[in-house]
Amino acid sequence: MINLNFNVNGKDVKLTVDDSLRLLDILRDELGLTGTKEGCAIGECGACTVIMNGEAVNSCMILAEQVQNAKVETVENLEKNEVLSKLQDAFLDNGAIQCGFCTPGMLMSAKALLDKNQNPSEEEIKTALEGNLCRCTGYIPILNSVKDAVEKINLAKGS
Amino acid sequence: MKSIRKIDAIPKLNGSWKFLDDYSYEEMIHGQLLYSTCHHGTIKKIHFPDGYNLSEFTVVSAANIPGENIVPEPVCDQPYMADKEVFHFGQVIMGIAHPNRKLLREFIRKIKIEYEELPAIIDIKECLENEDNVFGKELIIDHRTGRKPDPNWIHHHKIYYTPHQEQAYLEPQGMIAVWQPKEKIMFVRATCQCPFFVKEGVETIMGSAIKEAVIETSEGIGGAFGGKEDFPSLLAGITSLLSYKSGKPVKIVLEREDDIQITTKRHPARIEIETWTDPETRKIMKIYIDYRLDAGAYQTLSPVVLARGVLHAISGYSIPDAYIRGRLFRSNTPSNGAFRGFGAPQAFAAMEAHVESIAADMNINPYKFRRKNIFRIGNEFPTTQPILENNLSDCLERVIEKSNYLQKLEEFKEWNKTHKDKKGIGISIGYHGGGYTGNGEKVLNSEVKVVIEKDATVKIYVANTDMGQGAHTTLAQMFFEAIDHPREKCLVQLPNTSKTPNSGPTVASRTIYIIGNLLRRFALKIKDELGFENLDDYVSSNQNEFPREFRMKFVQDPSVVFDEENYVGVAYKDYSWAACVTEIYFHADTYQIELTKSWNVIDIGKVVNQKIAVGQAEGGILQGLAYGLCEFFYKAGYGRMHGFSDYALPTTMDLPEIDVEFIHTDSPIAKGLGEIPMDFPAPSVRNAFHNATGIFIDEYPLVPERIFKSLTADERR
Repeated sequence: MINLNFNVNGKDVKLTVDDSLRLLDILRDELGLTGTKEGCAIGECGACTVIMNGEAVNSCMILAEQVQNAKVETVENLEKNEVLSKLQDAFLDNGAIQCGFCTPGMLMSAKALLDKNQNPSEEEIKTALEGNLCRCTGYIPILNSVKDAVEKINLAKGS
Repeated sequence: MKSIRKIDAIPKLNGSWKFLDDYSYEEMIHGQLLYSTCHHGTIKKIHFPDGYNLSEFTVVSAANIPGENIVPEPVCDQPYMADKEVFHFGQVIMGIAHPNRKLLREFIRKIKIEYEELPAIIDIKECLENEDNVFGKELIIDHRTGRKPDPNWIHHHKIYYTPHQEQAYLEPQGMIAVWQPKEKIMFVRATCQCPFFVKEGVETIMGSAIKEAVIETSEGIGGAFGGKEDFPSLLAGITSLLSYKSGKPVKIVLEREDDIQITTKRHPARIEIETWTDPETRKIMKIYIDYRLDAGAYQTLSPVVLARGVLHAISGYSIPDAYIRGRLFRSNTPSNGAFRGFGAPQAFAAMEAHVESIAADMNINPYKFRRKNIFRIGNEFPTTQPILENNLSDCLERVIEKSNYLQKLEEFKEWNKTHKDKKGIGISIGYHGGGYTGNGEKVLNSEVKVVIEKDATVKIYVANTDMGQGAHTTLAQMFFEAIDHPREKCLVQLPNTSKTPNSGPTVASRTIYIIGNLLRRFALKIKDELGFENLDDYVSSNQNEFPREFRMKFVQDPSVVFDEENYVGVAYKDYSWAACVTEIYFHADTYQIELTKSWNVIDIGKVVNQKIAVGQAEGGILQGLAYGLCEFFYKAGYGRMHGFSDYALPTTMDLPEIDVEFIHTDSPIAKGLGEIPMDFPAPSVRNAFHNATGIFIDEYPLVPERIFKSLTADERR
C-alpha cells in the first residue's frame, strides 16, 4: 500500500492505495472520475490520456508511486459551471464526436498542446494527437476542431 | 439536410456519458474468458494454479449450461464454450469470475491446459486454396447466355486476395449480467448493435432456468462497425451463466489483446475472376467469378456475408453473360463475422482491380473503359434486377471532373519520367444495397413505437443502437422534421428489450434507410390520424387522450421479390452509389505509399443530417483506404496480431485530404450510408500505385514489404 498526496482537477487528494494501481485505476475506481477511458491498458490507444504536470500521459502507464505530489487534470475539469471550454466547443461545432470513447483522451492531448503552444502548426497538431486513435471520424473533424480552438483562443486574447 | 447537433455530444465531451465499464452494481464481481491457445485438439486436462482459494472463484463451462450450448446465428453451429474438443485458437472453454479483477487475471494466466493436438489449418492461403475445406451451401448466380466467347475477345484471368480486417472499436467488448432470482429475470447491460440478438443469446444458453432476459444497452457504445453484431450474444450468454451461478452481478470487459485475438474480423477472401472483352466495342462480354471466404471454424453468419459478397461481386458493370459462385472455407481460426461492408469490400477490391488490369492490358484509359461498361438504365444485375437509374455513372463523371483525373494522368506521366519517387492516381467505384438482403426485411417485420406524453414530448422506442454513428439524433430528426415538432421534445429512448419493440438489428445500412424512413411515415400517419397542424397545440387541448402509445410496422415494397434458392430477382430495393479517385505519392527508397488526396462522390439520396453524414463518410473512407494500404491481421510465420502496435491502424500522421460530396440529394428517400464509404476506396489505392509504377499488386494491403517483393520480382524478370 502507498500513501499518496496529489492534486486532481485543482483539488488536493489524500489516498492510501495498493501500490500496483495505475493512475487510470485511481481516477476511475478510487475517485469515480470515469470520464477517462480504458481502451487498451498498454499505452497504445490514448483513450486514457490525462494531463500530469503539464504533459499529456497515458494514465494506464503511470503507476501509483509516480502520482506522488503530481498535478493531474482530467476531462471532468474542462467544463466550468456548465460552460464548455473553447476546445470542447470547437469539437461540438465541428462534429468531432462520434462514439465518444476516444474524445476525453483527444481533448486532453489537444489541451496539453495548447497549454504549451498557442499557435501550433498543422504538423504540430497532428504530432500531438498521433498517439490518440480514433476509428470513427477519420480524424478530420478533430484536427479542424483544434485549429478552430486555436483561432477562438487567440481571438479571445485579442479582444 | 440540417446539421442538428448530436444529442449525446455534450455528455461525451464532459465525460459524463456512461460506457459499459462505467457502470457498477452492488456486490458486482468481475469475469473473464478462459480460451483455447490450441488451434485444434482435444482437451485432456485443465490444471488450476496452486495458492488460490478456489472457493472464491465462480467457474462455468459447457457442463453447466442449463439451456443449449449453441449460439443462435443464421447457421447455428458454434458452441458458447467448447466441450471436449477445441476447433480454433481463442475458442472459449470457461467463464471465470472473482471479486478482484487483478487477481482474476493473474489466476487465469496461470491456468495450464493439456491438449492432444490435431491437424489444423491456420494459414489463410492454405484454407482458401484447398477445395476440400469448403463447407456450407454454395451460392450461385447463373446469368449465362450459353454463347461461346468469340475468338477475338480478349481473355483475362486473375486471382485477388484480401486480408482480415479488425473493427478496432475503441471501447472493448463488455457485458454486465445481473441475475434477479425472484423474478427469474436475467438483466443484461450490453455494449452491442443488436439487443434482440443478445436477448436470444442469453435465453438460449439459460433455457428454462430463467423466465426472460432483458437487455438494455449502455448509454455509450464505443464504436462497433459490425464487431458488436454477433460476438455479444456469446459474451452475454457466458456472463449471464456466471451471474446465475454466483448469484451476483458479473461484469466482463475483454482485455484488448483478448478482444483482438478472439473476436470476429472481416473475412479474408480469394476472388478469382475471368473475363472476355470485345476489343472492338471495349465491352466486357462474359465473366466468371469464384468468390471464396475464409469463414473460420464455424459458419455462424458467414452465409449472409457470402450472399452480399456475390451480389456485389460484379461491381457496377453491365456484363451480358455472368456466372458467380460463392463458397465458404473452413479453417481453425475464430469465426469471422460482420464488419462494415459485409462481403462487399472484398468484391470491389477484386473487381475494381480487375477492370483496371483489363484497361491497362488493352491500353484503354481506365475511366473511359469504366464509362463504357458501367450500369445504366435498361441494364440489369446478374440476378436480373433492373437498373433503374444512372446515378453510379453520375458519381463517376462527377469525381473524374472534380479530381481533374484526366489532366493529372498526363501531368503525373511527365513528372514520373524525371523522378525516382512516383505520383499516381487511381479510380474505383462501388455501391451498397440498403437493408437486409432479399426477403430479409419482410422476415424481420420491424416494429417501432412512440409514446406522446402530456407535455407533447415524443418518446421514440427503437431497438437500433447509437454506437457513435449518430443514429439516435438522426432518427429523432426524421420524426420531428416530418411534423415540424421542436427537436428537444423528440427523443429516442435507450434500447431496452422489455420496453422497445423489435425494430431489428443495427446492421446492413438499414437504420436510417428502413427505420428512419419508417419513423418519417409514422409521424405523418399520426398527424393524419389525429388531424393536427401543431402537435403541441393538439396535446394541450386534448389532455385526456395522453399519454398515448402508437405502434407501426415496416411493410416491404411488394416489388421486392427475391428467389433465395436461385438468386434471381430484386436483392435490394435501393442502392447507394459511389465513385472515388485517390492520389498517392510513392516513396521509392522506403517502398511506402503516401496517400495525398481522395475525392469521393456518393449518392445516398436524401441527406438527413449533413454533418453526421459527412462524418460517417470520412471515417468509413479512411477505414477503406487503410484496408487497401496497411491493415492486415495475420502473417505467415507470425500468426495473429495482438494489439494496436502490430495491427496498423491509421493515425493522424497517415491522413490524406479527404473530399466528400453527396449528389442526388433531392431524392425523397434517405438511403443506406453506414457501409458504402468502406466498400469502394481500397482498390483506388492499388490502381493509383499501378498508375505510378506500372506494377499491379493483386494482394491487399499494399504494405512496403509486398511492394518491395513485387518491384524486385519485376526487376528480376
